[in-house]
Amino acid sequence: MHILVDLLNASVEDTVGTSVRLPTNLRDAAVVAVDMGFAASTTELTVRGLQDALEAFAQRAALDAHYEDHPHARPNLAEIAQMTAEIDGNPLADRPELIRRAAAEIWSVKADATPDDVLIYAAGLAAATAKGAG
Amino acid sequence: MSQANTVILDNEAVQALIDPSHRKHRRLLAAVEAVAARNLRHAGSVRLLVPTTVRVEACWDRQARGSAAINQLRVGDVALDSAAADLATRARTALGVSVADSHIAAVLGTVPGPHAVVTSDAEDIRRIAGMVGVLPTIVNV
Repeated sequence: MHILVDLLNASVEDTVGTSVRLPTNLRDAAVVAVDMGFAASTTELTVRGLQDALEAFAQRAALDAHYEDHPHARPNLAEIAQMTAEIDGNPLADRPELIRRAAAEIWSVKADATPDDVLIYAAGLAAATAKGAG
Repeated sequence: MSQANTVILDNEAVQALIDPSHRKHRRLLAAVEAVAARNLRHAGSVRLLVPTTVRVEACWDRQARGSAAINQLRVGDVALDSAAADLATRARTALGVSVADSHIAAVLGTVPGPHAVVTSDAEDIRRIAGMVGVLPTIVNV
């Protein structure tokens, strides 16, 4: 993990030519995106996509490494879903009990549920509750 | 409601993040987890940022030995360049807020949103956001 992070943090001084096989449709879509002004070149698009993916892997790995030293600091799925709702300004942020229930129940239908999955489930619970009350 | 694509940390948020003994450390990790989950599904969809003057105020030295672990959480620096300094100065002059909060105003005014700010001072953030004409989501530390 340290090597990955160090390489991501390193200044970009050298570039290297590499042969990457791209699906034809993706290559053609990249050319269109460049023509539309979304990027300077297909190379920039490829580098940006690779960088973003590697940054995400590094962030996940850094969190897991932190929990090895501080296991009590690991937030549970309900806490992360609650924070996700707060960050987005999702009205469900004001229904923490619903988010906790959704996080507890979603395991039965989706073992690898994400915080967004929990919020969708919680929205369903909220809608069902409102319908039942109406 | 729209998904935030820029999450900005204020002074207390940084302090909670860098100190595992801080009572809000776990809550700040939940914020990093929220960002990480989105980025694993859609790479590059959310950025976690700290204005460099906030980092100064929170005493987060990336070169310090104790910062090694926190440096790896991919919290990006936003430097105070010339144009941002002008915007921050206007916020500080108009509102009398701290240099760090003025820098947050400059970030809100220059970095694409939707924004969320993790802060211990919601009222000041609302004031500076109003000055630069944006409406961030406020997340209390």
